[in-house]
Amino acid sequence: MKAFWKSMLRHPGGVIGLVILFITIFIAIFGPTIFPTSPWRMVQRPFLPPFTNPAVLLGTDALGRDVFAGIIYGARVSLLVGMVSTLVALIVGVPLGATAGYFGGRVDDALMRFTEFFQTIPSFPLAIVLVAILQPSIYSIVASIGIVSWPPVARLVRAEVLSLRTREYVQAAIVTGQSNSWIIWREILPNALSPVIVLASLMVATAILLESSLSFLGLGDPNMISWGYMVGAGRTVIRQAWWITVFPGVAILLAVLAMNLVGEGLNDALNPRLAKGSR
Amino acid sequence: MLKHFLLGLALTSSLCTAALAQEPKMGGTINAVIQPEPPGLMLALVQNGPTQMVSGNIYEGLLRYSKKLEPLPGLAESWTVSPDAKTYTFKLKPGVTWHDGKPFTSADVLFSVETLRVTHARARGNLVQVDKVEAPDDLTVVFTLKQPFGPFLGIFEVGSMPMIPKHIYEGSDIKTNAANNAPIGTGPFMFKEWKKGSFIQLVKNPNYHIKGKPYIDSIYWQIIPDAAARSVAYETGKVDVLPGGSIENFDVPRVSKLPNTCVTGEGWEFFSPLAWMWLNNRQGPTANKLVRQAIMYAIDREFARDVIWNGLGKVATGPSASTIKYYTDDVRKYPYDPAKAKALLKEAGYKGEKIRMMPLPYGETWLRWAEAIKQNLNDVGITIETVATDVPGYNQKIGEWDFDISYSYLYQYGDPALGVGRNYVSSQIVKGQQFNNVEGYSNPEIDQLFADGAVATPDSKRKEIYDKAQKILVEDVPVAWMLELQFPTIMNCKVKNLITTGIGVNDGFRDAWIDK
Amino acid sequence: MLSFVAQRIVKGVVVLLAIVVMNFFLIRLAPGDPAVVMAGEAGASDPQFVQQLREKFSLDKPLPEQLLSYVKGIVTLDLGFSFRQQMPVSKLISERIGATLLLTLTAFAISLVLGIFFGTLAARFAGSWGDSAITAAALVFYATPIFWLALMAILLFSVYLGWLPSFGYDTVGANYTGLAYVGDVALHLIMPAMTIGLFFMATYTRMTRASMLEVKRLDFVKTARAKGLRDNVIQRRHVLRNALLPVVTLAGVHAGTLIGGAVITETVYAWPGIGRLMYEALLQRDYNLLLGVFVVCSAMVLIFNLITDLVYRLVDPRIEFAS
Repeated sequence: MKAFWKSMLRHPGGVIGLVILFITIFIAIFGPTIFPTSPWRMVQRPFLPPFTNPAVLLGTDALGRDVFAGIIYGARVSLLVGMVSTLVALIVGVPLGATAGYFGGRVDDALMRFTEFFQTIPSFPLAIVLVAILQPSIYSIVASIGIVSWPPVARLVRAEVLSLRTREYVQAAIVTGQSNSWIIWREILPNALSPVIVLASLMVATAILLESSLSFLGLGDPNMISWGYMVGAGRTVIRQAWWITVFPGVAILLAVLAMNLVGEGLNDALNPRLAKGSR
Repeated sequence: MLKHFLLGLALTSSLCTAALAQEPKMGGTINAVIQPEPPGLMLALVQNGPTQMVSGNIYEGLLRYSKKLEPLPGLAESWTVSPDAKTYTFKLKPGVTWHDGKPFTSADVLFSVETLRVTHARARGNLVQVDKVEAPDDLTVVFTLKQPFGPFLGIFEVGSMPMIPKHIYEGSDIKTNAANNAPIGTGPFMFKEWKKGSFIQLVKNPNYHIKGKPYIDSIYWQIIPDAAARSVAYETGKVDVLPGGSIENFDVPRVSKLPNTCVTGEGWEFFSPLAWMWLNNRQGPTANKLVRQAIMYAIDREFARDVIWNGLGKVATGPSASTIKYYTDDVRKYPYDPAKAKALLKEAGYKGEKIRMMPLPYGETWLRWAEAIKQNLNDVGITIETVATDVPGYNQKIGEWDFDISYSYLYQYGDPALGVGRNYVSSQIVKGQQFNNVEGYSNPEIDQLFADGAVATPDSKRKEIYDKAQKILVEDVPVAWMLELQFPTIMNCKVKNLITTGIGVNDGFRDAWIDK
Repeated sequence: MLSFVAQRIVKGVVVLLAIVVMNFFLIRLAPGDPAVVMAGEAGASDPQFVQQLREKFSLDKPLPEQLLSYVKGIVTLDLGFSFRQQMPVSKLISERIGATLLLTLTAFAISLVLGIFFGTLAARFAGSWGDSAITAAALVFYATPIFWLALMAILLFSVYLGWLPSFGYDTVGANYTGLAYVGDVALHLIMPAMTIGLFFMATYTRMTRASMLEVKRLDFVKTARAKGLRDNVIQRRHVLRNALLPVVTLAGVHAGTLIGGAVITETVYAWPGIGRLMYEALLQRDYNLLLGVFVVCSAMVLIFNLITDLVYRLVDPRIEFAS
């Protein structure tokens, strides 16, 4: 663990990513407590430019709502959607990939056909259709992002399991008569974890982007403010009020960037062999 | 003895004098925005907004209507009404031809009326009082009514009753006729090309029945799906005309201030769109009249007009827009008064039960408006949960009464008998519809008043009836009226004389010309 | 090799049929149907009218019957009739697919060429200031939401600078012919293609860089170097060629998904492609049209995957055509 942190901290990008990520998480958790003004409240005159009134630092939107409050509250939704939908994808993808890789043969064939099937349908259109069917809400958004993003997880886990399966300690466990699920959960998966963690961190980034795209198309949850919603709502007035669109856009960019940097840092830290090679 | 009601010709010539202040120039092309892409251009089959806008150039109706909603000659050059107000005789304009050169006659009118009764839901409703339609000769059409119907002369506008060619559709299945893809009308412009997803092109009808018109050679209706892209298209000179509603309201003030830009709110008098909140009168807190009144006091409609509609439009006082017949503002008033709203809620015994609100999924303006109202209602202690849907989901939920609060704006078609009564009389509580008494308001007195109002004569009697109806409705608040909407038409100032009637852009570009 | 291709095609057809069936039911789960939408737009929706429309669209028939007649159509390459647009779906799609292919393939070419170029450059000077700059830039493009980038590009290039048209496929009404027309379309193509292209470029840059560095350490490169081959030659002949394998794989996956995924770009730039068509069909519950677009997009994905596999096998002769 110590070695992990050490190598993580040696990676400057990873450090920057971690710092941004921690700040975002902090805002997401404590922001609304520190800053209780609801982002839906009309607090000032509409279209107030940023940096003119310290009470509404980032200006106001078309209804006179505080853009800064939107950024603070939006962090919660964006992060939540990013993480929970990734979790959904992992819950579907990891067991599926592990089963396919471990049992091989017909099971593998069937499960991989199933995965291919989902990879063949264009993912963004599928996500749009799913949200439209379930009607936009935080649950339908999380579910659809999860559903369109699990196939890469399954493939990765399958590949890892395939190679780990032949290792001696796994073979030994099989010989000693351990149950299949015990072997998968206790022997194989923990060792396949690091590439999955790396992939998951990148998936959180992609999910945040996906959520913002859905919101942009008007398929966001109307009861929760999110950064993508803010960009979508602000784009019609982008000419007279750039700040409504630019600040949440930058927020998305930073969050996604941070997740990617962390992902790369993790990659280097968890796969030291590669890290040295690429330096 | 037939009493001459209005002699159309005299009115036309007076309109012309006004237009001739500047000599119209021939030629040129107008680029206009159409949004969304219409599903088809055959006006007898499809009647959505974009179709009416484009096809109003291709087809014509028997009458047109001035901005004061007086009937003007269209394909009918004059008309008379019998003293018992049950027989309407129209004289058709001679020498009118369809785009394919065949003459337009009374047979076409009869055919159109019969067809529309099947395919055009609103026309069917409008024609309910018609007993028979006859054509004594090629240029005369006589409508005989079962009983007098006050608004009858108001149902002949092109979108409500377009004239379609008998020789093309007779004996064929009108829905699948190949001509629907290249519609044939009598209008000033002819269909040329439709490149799906890009544009619809109409060209000048060289044999139009008004000599010398139209002035313009060609119209391109451009299809641009994104509202921001539409305003950029105007800004960069790629389109000349933004019909009402083409760009988001928040962008209107900026675009209006661009150089060489002319803006008009005229051309919507016939439709007079009135926006309101549906309040479900059947169930939940909104079934209580006091809660509904509280909602009226709680919503800040001036704010909505000034901020969301940029000062355009008028705060509604009741079920009728101020532009239509028999409007009165002698009714209970609901100023923005949160304290009074709270008091009423308390009296009603409302305890913060959750109320589901479904915004109108028609773009940013309506979403922002719903958000502002949610905040208004929160402020007086009403708990709102917003339910998001897209257009089909909205249509279905409204039709099945699956909402507590929702939104809509409806056209009023100039007369309370055509566009107001339908939302409040109990015979119009029919599941599966979305333009009738969706809220489920039921009051025998109102039913009687609207029944009487439609057939009463003379006008003063009708006014008396509708005054009373408005008073009762405003007291009961079956729905929460918000604004009389105005959809400004924005155009490059070189486009002249675009909007000359109360039907506006939907009446076609017949009189428009380009100043070079 | 032929049997390999044949096998893949058979598998593809099965997958496509499964997609048809799944989407057929999926779409019908959504609230509202085309009759409700059209009646709503007509401004008059009495039940009689809605019923008329349902009958016209055959929506009053039982679901299995609808599915059967749809699948029967598909087998004969008939994608059905668009209720709303009053046209065969195949015609609507074929009218639009050209625009989408032009957009996505251009974007694809831009992203691949730029991505490999910058990736190679970064790997060549790994650890330097230039490497960091390229890597950082790639990451920023990767993290930027496409719709936001598109809006900013329109603001900059159309509104402030006035260099590029902000929407559409060509200048409507200009009636250019020949080269002038090609130029006109190209001008309209630049911004949308760059918007998509930059996003994917970022991926390829990072991938190429990583892959190059990986390959560099491998034995055969060391051998080549030991043999005294010049660095340029090593880079071109040995490193690049091998490093591109994963890039090609990824590109193949992207090429297919790009086609359906251009919804946002096509919407913001009013590009008349099938991504937009799909979104509009969804909002209008135009079942047949929506299904048709899904079928075509999925078929594209399968075709591109097949092409990728073939290319892969050409680039890397070690892989045999076994299934």
